[in-house]
Amino acid sequence: MLRSRFLRPPGARPEEEFLARCLQCGQCAQVCIFECIRMRTGFNPFLSGTPEISPRQAPCFLCMRCSAICPSDALEDVPKEKAKMGFARLNRDKCTTWKGLIICRSCFERCPLKATAIVLERGLYPVITDQCVGCGVCEHVCPRRAIVTIPTRFVT
Amino acid sequence: MRRPGIKFWRRLVQFGVATAFVVIPLLNHLHINVLTGNFLAFRAGPLPLADPLAVLQITLKNFYLSADLLVGAAIALGLAAAMGTVFCSWICPFGLLSELAQDAARRRTSGQDRVAPQRRTGFAVKLTLFGLGLAGFLVFSTTPVLNQLSLPAWYSRIFQFYFEQRHISLAVVLLLALPAVEFGFRRRLWCRCICPQSVLLICVKLLNPAQLKVRFDAHKCICAKPRDPCRQACSLSLDPKTLAEAVDVACNNCGDCVAACKRRGRALRFGFGPHARDSGDAGV
Repeated sequence: MLRSRFLRPPGARPEEEFLARCLQCGQCAQVCIFECIRMRTGFNPFLSGTPEISPRQAPCFLCMRCSAICPSDALEDVPKEKAKMGFARLNRDKCTTWKGLIICRSCFERCPLKATAIVLERGLYPVITDQCVGCGVCEHVCPRRAIVTIPTRFVT
Repeated sequence: MRRPGIKFWRRLVQFGVATAFVVIPLLNHLHINVLTGNFLAFRAGPLPLADPLAVLQITLKNFYLSADLLVGAAIALGLAAAMGTVFCSWICPFGLLSELAQDAARRRTSGQDRVAPQRRTGFAVKLTLFGLGLAGFLVFSTTPVLNQLSLPAWYSRIFQFYFEQRHISLAVVLLLALPAVEFGFRRRLWCRCICPQSVLLICVKLLNPAQLKVRFDAHKCICAKPRDPCRQACSLSLDPKTLAEAVDVACNNCGDCVAACKRRGRALRFGFGPHARDSGDAGV
């Protein structure tokens, strides 16, 4: 399950439309300077060669180079606030700040949409707002794995 | 020293392209992104290139065509309209592997047993596969499945996988096994009968009677009939003397027959334009 929980690159159209447009040329993976986009390996004729991002391994930093280069507009060239890759869910039972153990602001400090997608409630407790585009940086940096990014692919 | 012939230049281009698609993912890994993509869609600086079949598939499915894809596919189809399927003989890395296998097989038997040509069936099989794949994608599937049959794309993908994510794709086995099979059968099976990517290029070339083709001047031919050097040279087992009569489905304008004829009377030559004088001569 965890392996299939990958994100599409920023700006990806809804899953079915994305797959119908993706040429599997791999240009998005080639221009990604953070090396987070991987091409799907294997011989599955429906998925092989399509781009995916696993935030636990390497998250997207919303540089938007991939959506700019995509020749078939499977990745739409949108501003990063509209990347709609997914959305992050914070489990307050695991978060050290919410549990009152230590003050950790890893997710807040690293969020590419800092103070928009993640805000600090009462100046202390991280809260993910509906502005979150699901880049997965917070999931990647969270020391307690309290954050899980749910891909938009699964939402119909 | 003899001047290098057409086959030398062709092999140089083929090996150059094959090497380029090893080097490009490596450069991309070093964040040098002047050249990106593979044989399905490619970008050289501002210039887009695209596989016409991949573009056709997503255009028909989505009723959508971006400027990049339009330009990319138009360049590929324009080349085919003017010069024939030179992509297959001068650029395609699988074409190179297949030809090398064919050459090796021929050297082993020193050119003795000629395989009888099967001219039209190959294209019919190819066309059927093309139609089924396209219809299947439009009606049932969500992804352009014919792209997975593109062996040049798999060739470039192997190196994309390796240099970008240190993954050794099993496609290596596929790309070595198929030339091995062709070494046994000696028919360039994939190129003749399966490759759906070539169908659009062939269709475009058939539309243009004035495209580049091999012409035959019977007056100049000095070879004995049964074992013509030009026929021996053709990796697709065609008869080069008949290629000028109409645009041939299978001929890729590789020029091996022209090179073979070069020192024996130069009866075979490349030429453009609708066929006029030469065919009259060939009939004599």
